[in-house]
Amino acid sequence: MFRKAIYSGNFAKTLINNSFSNVAVITNKEVIPTNSNVDKSKEINSDLELKEKLEFEIHIEDLNEIDTYLKPTFNFASYINKSPILQEFFKLGVDLYKFEKNQDVAKFILSLNYENDVHKFVEFFNDLNISHESLGKIITKNPYILKENIEDLVVRINYLKCKKFTPEMITRIVESNPFWLSYTTQQIDQMLGFFQKHFTLKGDEVRSLTVTCPKLITFKERTVKVNTFAIHEEMGFSTEEVKGMLLKKPKLFMRDQRNVLKTFEYLHNEMNISLDQIVDEPGVLTCRCNRLRERHKFLKKLERDQFDPKKPMYVSLTTLVSSPDADFATEVAKSSVQIYNEFLKSI
Amino acid sequence: MLVKEAPVIWNLLKGIVCVYKPAEITCENLRKALLAKICADLNNMECRSISERVVIEGNPLEKLTVNVVPNLADHPAVVGPRYLPDELPASWSNYLGWNTCGILLFGLREGTRTAKYLRENRPMRAYKLKGTLGKATDNGLASGKVVEKSTWKHVTKSHMEKLLSSIQSSHQKQMFQLCGVDLQSQTAYDLAVQGPIRPANSKVPLLYGIKCIEFTPPNFVIEVHCINENESYLTTFIHEIGTKLHSTAHCTALQCVRHSCFTLEDALLKKHFTLQNVLTNMEKCSIKLEENKDLLYQKSASLTSINTE
Repeated sequence: MFRKAIYSGNFAKTLINNSFSNVAVITNKEVIPTNSNVDKSKEINSDLELKEKLEFEIHIEDLNEIDTYLKPTFNFASYINKSPILQEFFKLGVDLYKFEKNQDVAKFILSLNYENDVHKFVEFFNDLNISHESLGKIITKNPYILKENIEDLVVRINYLKCKKFTPEMITRIVESNPFWLSYTTQQIDQMLGFFQKHFTLKGDEVRSLTVTCPKLITFKERTVKVNTFAIHEEMGFSTEEVKGMLLKKPKLFMRDQRNVLKTFEYLHNEMNISLDQIVDEPGVLTCRCNRLRERHKFLKKLERDQFDPKKPMYVSLTTLVSSPDADFATEVAKSSVQIYNEFLKSI
Repeated sequence: MLVKEAPVIWNLLKGIVCVYKPAEITCENLRKALLAKICADLNNMECRSISERVVIEGNPLEKLTVNVVPNLADHPAVVGPRYLPDELPASWSNYLGWNTCGILLFGLREGTRTAKYLRENRPMRAYKLKGTLGKATDNGLASGKVVEKSTWKHVTKSHMEKLLSSIQSSHQKQMFQLCGVDLQSQTAYDLAVQGPIRPANSKVPLLYGIKCIEFTPPNFVIEVHCINENESYLTTFIHEIGTKLHSTAHCTALQCVRHSCFTLEDALLKKHFTLQNVLTNMEKCSIKLEENKDLLYQKSASLTSINTE
């Protein structure tokens, strides 16, 4: 009772239970007078009392761990040396400082017990063939996964298996999208169904899309819809072309549609690139407009802005956008980095 | 980099950095990018090692063991990275608007004080303003809505130069008015002999030299030397030039090409933000400031010549 009064809360209990060393302490030791003049009944009574008293007075207490209160704190650093659960998380490679932003997460993490609450999840992820480092990253990103019921997680994995995802695919999905397992089977089914219906995908295409970009599946449906609208209606690509772009560059559908439109407008109106060429290389649309403008202006100045594959001195859009500045200046523009840097300072 | 310890580099990080701000990005965002890169680089170096703590374990009635164990509370995974952008003070000495590109000076740590002195001493800045005749927009920039169109064929370079020199002389006259002296007096003459004067007030924009350096109608480029300017002042200036030439004009680009003794050559591009480059740049800037001490501690109110080499 004494201990509970000091440390209320689960965290404190685990703290005590884990490092228990017995120290005998006798408190309130009194000299009990033994009087021979008292009658027998009284003697018996006092004997009993003495026995009771002695039992009450001798405590086996652990004073090592009796400490000042754990004061309210802004970070885990003040707790970690005393808390076994935090130490276990530290061993798992979790970045504990990232939890501090959210108070609810911090409280939740402290209320856990490694043996009862966390160990089964570690085993579960081990069975999924997920490496130690990624496990730490998954918990860092989504600590609430530990709140889920382990049977539910097995069901969610089984759902993927029954949808013909191979174990390697499942490992990749869980690794690159830590929030995947927090969604219920119904939600995931509805999300996959949305993509299949919205873009008229085949089963294999849905699977390859899921594996190449697992984050897209659980992304906000609204953003995907708005992006599809922008690409289909505002830019004027056909449904088939939109589908092709989705499979080639799924990240395009996770971006802000205003930025994509800006890039598209520059590509189509300033650089005179046809829609067919953009369909072949949808990666260009994910490029920032500023970067594209800088590079295009540089090529224009050198009179190398030739994007027609049928004519000589052709510059492919993907190499224009994806290569780093040094490679772009020497290989695409056939100039030097110094000249390109000077050019960047002049616009 | 030869030095591997982060604390050593941290101690060196004080002074002025000269960076190149591209258009369509705010000074705030550029500052964030610079600090994030510096801190990331510092964290990748050899940071302070984890401290140790003494643990006394065992039964107090028997033998106790004393151990020295690493203090987990000091581990970067628990307390967070050693260097945070929020803990690195940085401030700019001249503000450039969203549409302006060019030289921007940042003061880091103790350099913030230098940045403050630089700002309060109001050094001269040179701008290249690109404009186009024939169209006027609602915000004076190319991004705005076109509100007026006009002919521009009648404008020649001599027209432009005549106008610019008259604007320049009116600004020079204004300088003496701000000083509170009559133009025809002896005191005005004594002041004029010393060279151009700075305004005492930080609110009045002043143009010292205006020159048309390129004229390919309808496009033109003007170089302006000024104090206390801001983006909107410069765009309205281009608009005014358009109306005074009996046409209309809007601004297509604003570039700060010189800030006191700092030129474009010294400026660091955003892609070159690394710890090594920042340190080299800082060293160059401190040498320049050492050569031009007047920039920080002025002796007289008149402008002095600056050594840009």
